[in-house]
Amino acid sequence: MMNSGYSYWNSTIRAFMKNKVSLFFMALMAVFIVFIIIQPYLPNQKSPNVIYVDDTTGLQLINMPPGREFWFGTNSIGQDMWARIWSGTRTSLFIGIIVALWENAIGLIIGVIWGYVRRLENIITSIYNVINNLPRVIILILLAYTMKPGVLTMIFTMCITGWLDTARIVRNIVVIIRDREYNIASRILGTPAYRIIYRNILPYLVSVLVLKATLSIPAAIGYEVFLTYIGLGLPLSIPSLGNLINEGRGYITVPSLRYQLMIPAMVLSIITVSFYAIGNAFADASDPRNHF
Amino acid sequence: MIRYISSRLIQSVITLFAVLTIVFMLMRLMPVEGYLGESYDKLDEIQREKIIENLGLKDPIHVQLKKFYKRVASGDLGVSIAYRPGVPVAEILKSKIPYSLGFGIASLSISIISGITLGIFMADSEGKILKRVGNIYIILINSIPAAIYYILIQFYITDIFKLPMLFYIDRPISWILPVLSLSLGTTATYALWMKRYMVDELNKDYVKLAMAKGLKRREVMKKHVFLNAFVPMIQYLPSSILFTISGSIYIESLYSIPGMGGLLVEAVQRQDNPLVEAIVLIYSSIGIIGMLAGDVLMAILDPRIKLGKREGRI
Amino acid sequence: MKKLLIFFIGVAVVLAGWNASRHNWYDREENELRMVYSGEVTTLNYLTAATANEISLAVNFVDSLVEYDRFGEIKPCLATEWNTSEDGTIWTFKIRKGVKWVTHEGKVYGKLVAQDFVDGLKYVLTSENNSRTANIVYSVIKNAKEYYNKEITDFNEIGIKALDEYTLQYTLNKPVPYFLSILNYLCFFPVKGQFLEEVGDRFGTDNRYILYNGPYVMINYEPHHRRVLEKNEYYWDKDNVYIQRITMTYNKEANVLAPEMFLRGEIDHVGIGTDIIHEWMNNPVKRNLIRPNRTNFFSYFFLFNFNPQFSEEYEPVNWLVAVNNRNFRKSIFHAMDRKSAMLTEEPYEPEKRLLNTITPRNFISAGKIDYTQLEPLSKFTNRDSFDEKLALTYKNKAIEELKGKVSFPVKILMPYNAASRQWANRVQVIEQQLERVLGKDYIDIIIEPNPPTGFLERVRDSGKYALMELNWGADFADPETYTHPFRRDSTSSWIHMARGYEGENGYTIYENLVQRAADEVMDINKRYQLFAEAEAFLIEEAFVIPYSVGGGGYAASRINPFEISYSPFGAVSGRFKGLKLLKTPMSMDEYNLLYKQWERERSERLKGAEK
Repeated sequence: MMNSGYSYWNSTIRAFMKNKVSLFFMALMAVFIVFIIIQPYLPNQKSPNVIYVDDTTGLQLINMPPGREFWFGTNSIGQDMWARIWSGTRTSLFIGIIVALWENAIGLIIGVIWGYVRRLENIITSIYNVINNLPRVIILILLAYTMKPGVLTMIFTMCITGWLDTARIVRNIVVIIRDREYNIASRILGTPAYRIIYRNILPYLVSVLVLKATLSIPAAIGYEVFLTYIGLGLPLSIPSLGNLINEGRGYITVPSLRYQLMIPAMVLSIITVSFYAIGNAFADASDPRNHF
Repeated sequence: MIRYISSRLIQSVITLFAVLTIVFMLMRLMPVEGYLGESYDKLDEIQREKIIENLGLKDPIHVQLKKFYKRVASGDLGVSIAYRPGVPVAEILKSKIPYSLGFGIASLSISIISGITLGIFMADSEGKILKRVGNIYIILINSIPAAIYYILIQFYITDIFKLPMLFYIDRPISWILPVLSLSLGTTATYALWMKRYMVDELNKDYVKLAMAKGLKRREVMKKHVFLNAFVPMIQYLPSSILFTISGSIYIESLYSIPGMGGLLVEAVQRQDNPLVEAIVLIYSSIGIIGMLAGDVLMAILDPRIKLGKREGRI
Repeated sequence: MKKLLIFFIGVAVVLAGWNASRHNWYDREENELRMVYSGEVTTLNYLTAATANEISLAVNFVDSLVEYDRFGEIKPCLATEWNTSEDGTIWTFKIRKGVKWVTHEGKVYGKLVAQDFVDGLKYVLTSENNSRTANIVYSVIKNAKEYYNKEITDFNEIGIKALDEYTLQYTLNKPVPYFLSILNYLCFFPVKGQFLEEVGDRFGTDNRYILYNGPYVMINYEPHHRRVLEKNEYYWDKDNVYIQRITMTYNKEANVLAPEMFLRGEIDHVGIGTDIIHEWMNNPVKRNLIRPNRTNFFSYFFLFNFNPQFSEEYEPVNWLVAVNNRNFRKSIFHAMDRKSAMLTEEPYEPEKRLLNTITPRNFISAGKIDYTQLEPLSKFTNRDSFDEKLALTYKNKAIEELKGKVSFPVKILMPYNAASRQWANRVQVIEQQLERVLGKDYIDIIIEPNPPTGFLERVRDSGKYALMELNWGADFADPETYTHPFRRDSTSSWIHMARGYEGENGYTIYENLVQRAADEVMDINKRYQLFAEAEAFLIEEAFVIPYSVGGGGYAASRINPFEISYSPFGAVSGRFKGLKLLKTPMSMDEYNLLYKQWERERSERLKGAEK
């Protein structure tokens, strides 16, 4: 079976490359990520937290519309929106990526053990049921109470319950595949468990996991927006897409200030749309059933 | 089957017990100031002590826990201490649940009908344009934060059609927007899953065989593909229906609907312990019952699925 | 599918077309005031509540013994006349005859008698009822504290008696010159004892479970949705109640949605928040729809901490040495540009909110002189504390004195509640502004966001701040109320631990100044003078940096704010009695005109009172 000339990864990549739209989004995200990393080092950049004041009057430059001096305008206390938006995007993407990696890594490990090791199945199921039924908001508020608001707290709170979904999905797939005839045959022939998992089960999981991971990034950012909405978000001194959008929501009825909502919302949408498109295309491409 | 259900139920009671105990303990970790509320600043030491004592928070934790078990076992949800002090929790929930349930079920019905229809059309390769539109819709809905598009809809649609901005119980016209807004997200979810299951089904050999045999495509789709794809959708349906009672925090906030949305968040933030515990009890029970109902429903609809074999989905 | 879609669209269009002809969404009654609010009351139990939302609603349902008129003068309400004993400890009130208690359905329940006030006080002092205002009662009423603590069980020993059906007598534990003002607190409000017994634990949990004797009756109450107040037809002073019905709709997003609802004619009054004031000021149409709000009597100030308990990383020991240096404190005092901080809340006219003392202006006056204009205080009142040159002079002095004892830059921890956006904005401005004036080699301000849960207890009351913004609202009409946050028994400040200010009797100089003023209960003018001296000392020594009063902002409204009662407790001004609905929203010019007129009339009144 292994020497049939079929390579899982080659086929996946080939299938993925055929999808022009997702390639476009992939390139867009690559450029985007490079940009937000180097943005602070470009010439003429302002600092996201500095409050700019008028040199003559000494008063803050409040709510300046986008223009030559402030490319995306200033906010209600005179901070540069251009700098804040890119700084916020960095923060949010960073949170999103870390959370996505963690969720999938832990979810995968627990899910595989849960599905494959029959002795632990009952215990993990009970633990899962209990944690899954605990309202997250209680945990979140308690964590917010014990930890300082900040990026690390945010990541921690998201990670602590975030792996549950992935673990359940992985476990369901493992349960279905592990008892297929060829796996039972392998087991009887004495193939070690890790080899069965690695060779016969993981490829089936890749498509699901990649989809989950790419969707986890926009989901984490969306979750951050929600947390900010219920008052558990990042402090304003750490800009993020969540608190920029939450702050901007107040301007929805105000045409002259709406840029403070629309620009961060657009940046957020570009990121999430891209990841969705990439994720979906990759999930289709990596599904072994689509390789023939 | 009955044996299976009863063993699952026993398991559920244990889970419920564990969840409630943990929530009870977690709420006791909250700061004391929270129990005194906004008037904290104006209270003196004596009052603070008295209030905490009257709330029974000075008893040792195991005494509190015992009282709590006794109360819950006798079916008493307790009396609110902060959200609406002095009002029985059951009364608060009774006034709120119908709103969330009503809006939830109305929007869910719309979502199921339109979502599944959209999913079917998207799976069928004949409808190219619809497929595109559907994809764009799904991606947009999933990527723009609900907090933003809900408010945009409320703001502009009410302006264009001269609708009232808020919800008024005696004006059915004001019910439309919240229901439609609520169904936007779930429609996308249903469409996505329906499309997936349909595609899976269409790729199966029996379909190819049936087509090759010359059966009409419409016939095959209707009789086999749709039904088989629909079965897995059923599994989460009971949970979805039951969970509509939890409401939507965004929609209910925007339209002044006095439902359950955001109630748990507020109860936790105000440290209204009895209210939190009651809500957790209800949500957990619903989660457990919903899942069980889903599994049973699947088993009834699809004879190939045997309950009791442990490796079923959870 | 397509047919279905067409059907749905068709239905929507028809419904929309049918409704487009109508503009007002809520069938508007003649003389109805419609508003949107975002803070729901938790209870209607006026005997236990102590927060603004609850108070401002309850004062429309139940009247107090005395009330404030629109110039802030006390006038009869449920009491028609009163007198006080020679020593000022016994107060006797004649209760108004013919006042009726009515139910939420507007039916007469019974008549108001003196005993109702006794029943109310008994409820408040029963500690099981968790009254949040009991301390106000037992701070003045004889034996009340002992009853609250169960040291006395016979209620007859408490300093309140119904001498007959219409005569009420209070006995105080000490002469209290401001006693009449305290009577405006909800804890002194009456309740029918019989009704209390009937409803038991449910008292105040719903509109059905309270009785009404005030200007309005709540005929409909759906928490987090809507409440409807209808004029009380049995009200004793109903000729002065002009608005027939008040409909208030709850909306959590009111600050975003309500201004638009006002523009669409769905409501009659809305606050225009800092967020959107920019738009309303610069839009030619909207500009004519708004007017300023009045400020209230909440006082905001920055306080230095002489008992730092924050973590080592912010160098509490270093801070303690620095903060005990007068020149160091004064350098910050004069370096803080409060106007630029205020721009975050009040981008137009920031000056009207700035306060140079702790006690707000127009709070109280000694004769015809406003308290803040009394001699030692006036020099602060009439000058902005921001003075860069002076700040730098003090900075140089401080550096000289602290050289070798303190490591520069001095770290200054300024915590804030992350849930408050305005506060977050403010501290960011202050941090950058102070560091700009004084230099980053001198101070290093660290702003620290904190979660809202248990914020005050965990941060402020635990001493985990170096410099922090605090606030205080008046409890009664006397300058003594504004000394409370600085007293030794205050949980939030440790001014008495400042070194070098020891006075007589083991108390600090400030404490002795306050005590001397509090002891003066007969000569009111002298009393105020002494309190002014104590307050001036607090500011002169830069223990505290006065900042602002609360309230302010703007509103688009058909309400004339000068028609309602004016009192130091913002709450009583929530009473809708006396308000008329204007035909069109009040404009900026109208407001300014009315404000001038109001001030003129008020000063004439004060002069009259002087004679």
